[in-house]
Order: sequence, then C-alpha cells, then structure tokens
Amino acid sequence: MVSAPDLVRVAAPGPPAETARHRAGTPRRRQRAMGRAALWWLSPALLLIGGVVIYPAIELIDASFGRYSITGLRLGPAGDANYTNVLAHPATPAVLTNTLVWVVAVVVPTILLSLALAQFLSLEFAGRRIVRWAVLVPWAASLVITSRLFTLLFDYYHGILNRLLLALHVVGRPVDWLGDDRFTMLSIVTVGVFVTVPFTTYVLLAGLNAIPEEVYEAARIDGAGWWQTYRHVTLPLLRPALLVAAVLNIIYVFNSFPVVYTLNDRNPGFSHDTSITFMYKLAFKSADHDVGMAAAAGVMNVALILVAVVIYLRLVDWRKDHS
Amino acid sequence: MRPQHRWALVAGALALSLGLAACSGGTGAGTAGSGNGDPVKEIKVVIAEMSKDHTAAFWNAFAKTYQRRTGVKLKVQIISWNDVDQQTSTMVQNGNPPDILNLNAYASYAKDGLLYDSDEVLPDRTKADILDAFVKSGTYKNKLYGFPDLSSVRALFYNKKLFAKAGVAHPPRTWDEFVTTAKKITALGDGTVGYAQPLGPEEAQAEFSIWLFNNGGDWKSHGRWSINSPKNVQTLRFLKDLSVKHKVTQNNPGKTNRTDGAFPLFQHGKAGMVVGFGPLQAALDSDYPDVDYGIAPMPSSGGGPPQTYGVTDYLMAFKKAGNRDAVRKFYELYYSPDQINTWIKAEGFLPVTKSGLKVFASDPSLEVYLDTLPNVHLTPTDDPTWDKVKIAVQQNLGEAVASDGDPQKVLDRLQQMAESGG
Repeated sequence: MVSAPDLVRVAAPGPPAETARHRAGTPRRRQRAMGRAALWWLSPALLLIGGVVIYPAIELIDASFGRYSITGLRLGPAGDANYTNVLAHPATPAVLTNTLVWVVAVVVPTILLSLALAQFLSLEFAGRRIVRWAVLVPWAASLVITSRLFTLLFDYYHGILNRLLLALHVVGRPVDWLGDDRFTMLSIVTVGVFVTVPFTTYVLLAGLNAIPEEVYEAARIDGAGWWQTYRHVTLPLLRPALLVAAVLNIIYVFNSFPVVYTLNDRNPGFSHDTSITFMYKLAFKSADHDVGMAAAAGVMNVALILVAVVIYLRLVDWRKDHS
Repeated sequence: MRPQHRWALVAGALALSLGLAACSGGTGAGTAGSGNGDPVKEIKVVIAEMSKDHTAAFWNAFAKTYQRRTGVKLKVQIISWNDVDQQTSTMVQNGNPPDILNLNAYASYAKDGLLYDSDEVLPDRTKADILDAFVKSGTYKNKLYGFPDLSSVRALFYNKKLFAKAGVAHPPRTWDEFVTTAKKITALGDGTVGYAQPLGPEEAQAEFSIWLFNNGGDWKSHGRWSINSPKNVQTLRFLKDLSVKHKVTQNNPGKTNRTDGAFPLFQHGKAGMVVGFGPLQAALDSDYPDVDYGIAPMPSSGGGPPQTYGVTDYLMAFKKAGNRDAVRKFYELYYSPDQINTWIKAEGFLPVTKSGLKVFASDPSLEVYLDTLPNVHLTPTDDPTWDKVKIAVQQNLGEAVASDGDPQKVLDRLQQMAESGG
C-alpha cells in the first residue's frame, strides 16, 4: 500500500518532471526514485495483468501441448500433435478465409461510417446530446442480446426485414438471410459493423475535438474549400486517432465471438466460422471435442493477430507522424 | 503517433488477444479418487437445466431434504444445456469434477475411469427397478455407470385444424401416406408447411434417429456401426426428398434447429406435423391454446408397427476421496418414488423405473408414450465413440439434405469416422 504522504510526494512532481526531462535530462538519482514510484503506481495493474493475462496464457500454452480425452481429462503429453491437427483440419482453410473476410469487411466500412458519423456528431445542433447517447446504445448492449435480436429481425418466416422487403416488393419471396450461404456472411458482417461503429465513432470524435480551431481558421484564411480542409487538415490531424481506432478494431473484430456464433448457430459444419468460433467449436461443438486442439488454435490465434497488427503498422508507416 | 507508442500498441494487442484466447484454455490433470478417505461433509451436484420454472425449485427442495436426512450438505449448481458440456469439461480438466453430474452422455467418463459403477453406489433394489432399456443404455463394459434420471419419447404431433382443412382423416401410418398428407397441407398455402423438419446442428441425430428406426435401421447392429447401411441411406434420401423433391417442409431444414425453428412453426399453427415430446406438449397446453393438436405414433416406412425413439439423461457419480457414502445416500433419496416422480412430473418427462411406469400409467395424456416406453429405441450412448459421432452427425447431417447434398457420401464419412473410433 502507498500511504497518503507518499501519494502527495509522488503525484506532485509528475508532469513538470516530465517536461524537465524532455528539455534537459534529469539527474540519475531522481530517475531511480521515479522508477520506484512508478512501480508502486503500476503494481495493481501489473498484478491484474499477471493474474488475468500472463497466468492463463501460460496455462493455455501448456494445454496446447497436452493430450486430452473428450471429458477434459488430461491423458498425457501430445507433443506438437494439437498444432498439426489444427493445421490439417479440413475446415482450416475456409476458416482462415472467413476470418480475413470478416475482419476486413467489418473494419473498413466501420471506419468509413464512423468518420462520417463523428463529423456529424461534432457539429452543434439541437438534440446532439440525445443523438450521441443513441449512438452509444448498440455498444452498451450485450453482444449476445444484440445478436439474438438480429436473428429475429433476419428470420425467414417471422423476421421484420423480410416482411418489409416483401411489402415494398423488393423481393418476390423471403430471403433466408442466415441460412442461405450467399447471404450468411453479409448478414453477420452487417451486425458486426452495427456493434463496432459506436466505439469507433467516439474514438474519432475525440480525435476531432482535439484538433485546435486555429488550424481551421488558418485554412479558411488561406482560402481552402470544404474538401481541401478535410483532406489536408482534418484527416492528417486525425491520423493518430484513426490509427488507434483501426488497430483496436482489427483486434476487437478478430476476437469477436458472440456475433458470429449466435448468428451462425443454425448452420451445420464450419463454413461460416471465423478462427475464434472455430476454436470454441474445436473444444466443445465439433467431433474433435478436444481441449488441447482448441488451446493450440488459441495460441495460433494470438500469433495471427499479432502478426496482422505488426503488418498493419508497417503498412501505414506509423513512424510518419506529426511531421 | 510517437515511435514508442508502437510498442504500447503491440503490447496492448498482445494483452487483449491473450486475454481472450486464455478464456478457452485452462489445464490441470484430473485425478480420480478412489472413494476412500474421510467422509466428506459436502457434495456438489451439477444439474442441466430442464426448465426455468421447475429445475431449481425441485433441486433446492431436494437438497434440503438430503441435508436433513444425512447431515451432509448438498450444493446444487444448475447449468443451462448450452453451457453444461463446456463447464463440466473445464471442471474435469481442473481436476475438480462435481460429485454427481446430470448429462445426456456418460460413456466417455466411464471410459476414463472417473465414475462409480452401480455396485459401488446404487442400492440393488433401485437397479432392479430401472427399466431394462435404460439399464442397457447405461451399461459400459458390463457395468452400469449411467444411472437414468428421466426420459422422453418422441411422437408425431399433428395439427387437427389443418388436417380437417386439407381433408385428411387420420394421421399417416406409412411414409407414402405421410408424403401425401404433407403435400395436402402444404397446398393450403398461406405459408403453411406440411412438416417442420429440424436437421440443424442442435439435434439432427434425434430427427434422423426416429425416422431410421421406423425404416428398420439403426446406428449400430450386432455390435458394429451401421451408420451407412442401405436402410439408413434410404432414410436420409427420403428426408432430403421431403424438402428438395416434394417441397413439403419449411425452408432449409438442414439449417433449422428444433427449439427456435421447427417448434415455433407448429406452435403458431403454420406446420401440419412435427416430431415432438412432453415439453412441447406442455408448452402447447399452457401458451398456445389455439393450436388443436393430436399426438400419434410415427409412421413407418412399410406400415409395420411404429417404432419410437427415446432419450434418457444420466446422473453419474464421480469417484472422489471420501464421497462414496454420501453419493450412495444421494441415489437412495433420488430414486425414492416421491422424489424422482415429482421431478419427472414437474418437467413433463417420462419415468425410467418400473415403479414409476405404474405411477404415471394413470395419466391418459401420457398413454401414447408409455405404451412404447419399454420397447423404446435409444442412441448408442453406451459406446464412448458415440459421444463424438453424435456431434459429427449434428454438424454434417444438414449438409446431406441440402439441394446439392449427398446422403450416401455424408453417411459414408460418418461411418468411417465411427469405425476409426471418433
């Protein structure tokens, strides 16, 4: 525990010390004291990370090398059999393709939509507060509940979407949104975008609010039009927020379980599974019913998303920044 | 973004994705106790939830009675059917199984040597009271490990109003009659379907089972897997034809589940026929009084005597240090007539004991089931391989009945899988 005087002593020199360090550097002793203080401050978070991330991760890796019975009983070591079994699984290529489609098809439209929505929400208008709240709702609602509601909307017989399209004579007969292979992924992606937009919008809205009014003023004085201002002032200054939104969304969407699982629960096989729902099915809902294989799939999922994020950061050239 | 932030991002990514992946993992060797050791003061029972209204009510009352009689505390954990597999698997993984587990499978647990057999924990007269069909299905390698707790038998539910409208006098007795009837009902139009057919992953094995038993087929015959026997292939072709050729089912049966697909159609008067059981009957009586329904035996392919498909769940007991006596007392109490029959009645299921059969015989609404119960066909739950085959069936059968599906190929694949031990 940190006592109250400690808190005061530690807290007080915070920001000034940092600026000082940036300007001229700090004596070493002072830096060590800072380090110790930082450790105190970090300890709850470190404990939490140790307990809920590091420890389970070690267990996960351990499980991925174990041979398990269908009951969950560990029978012995498996070597790398779990990994090779996952890679050799007949569904793996389709699952990987689905994962790529799912992540790209959700993240790209989400960011585009959120850019527009954030721009809109940053305007002053009557009732803005209500609209801002409304945008948050899909994010605040439980994903399982949202997904279950969408299965009702999409339902072949009772769904309101089909009723609407039939009444408007857009379609001649109902569309099986979740069962017809041509539409299943599209339907799931739509829900994915719906639940991802709120968070992204708010990240971008925060980014927009952080852009100082002066630069717009300068743009105006220089005679920039609306599009020029947006293209050459807003977007470049929004870059950090966009980058954060994109990376967080890639991870979040990649790891999204409830939407894909709930909307796909009527379909046999793995033809619409992503690597996350596949991992779950390997453990409990497939003929493999193998915790070890699922753990191996889990380890590979982590590796996959890390590689994806690193590649993404390379592609967008994160170094090129405020310059 | 400043360069050092890159590592913050990567670290964040690692933390986020690890946290999620870790949810699926967890390890720990399960260690089976011998049952010896100091007697325990508490045992834990995991029960799969049959209904929101009755399951918890019965088991909480049961726990009180048990504790009063034995002085041992009974901790009851009720888990939904969706999660029970996953949670029990995690418990076993962590070496911490419950003392008693209620599930629809037991053989894999018996194979892993985790369970008590009946000689160890079940009173002799209780064992003698269990119906023969369930003793058979609960026996693995000549020992009874799967103690049945309740059962259900399927039958053909039909909508009398739709039958009258379509001019059908009686429920079909042969498969030909079935097709004719279903066609007449489908012809009524207005979105009416002749037969609601659930072959989606929820319970495809059940739907297929009842039809194949009525074609003289079976999952295993003479101790060998017979999944792709000509009779079974014929059955699956017939089921496929219902939607693809005759067009008398709802849209996309291979992707329709029972509880959120087929049953609702029947409950809203949109389906002429559906294979149902006690809980559907209870739901119709309490929530859908407008549906005037009848219950008939299943039609058989050639008009022979109708066969029924039954399901039983099991209450199995895990070997743990010092729990044998407490577990034995649990079964003594559970199988006493006023306990077991109370629960079965509340949940709308059927008895598993000879004495229970007599008690329930007085209920005329159960007649159609009870007559067939002693000769019921079950799936081969006594074979640990079935625990995997069942899931493979659930995940594959839907593909076989799609318009481009190949019943022979799918059943061949399942047969091959079963023969290689899952």
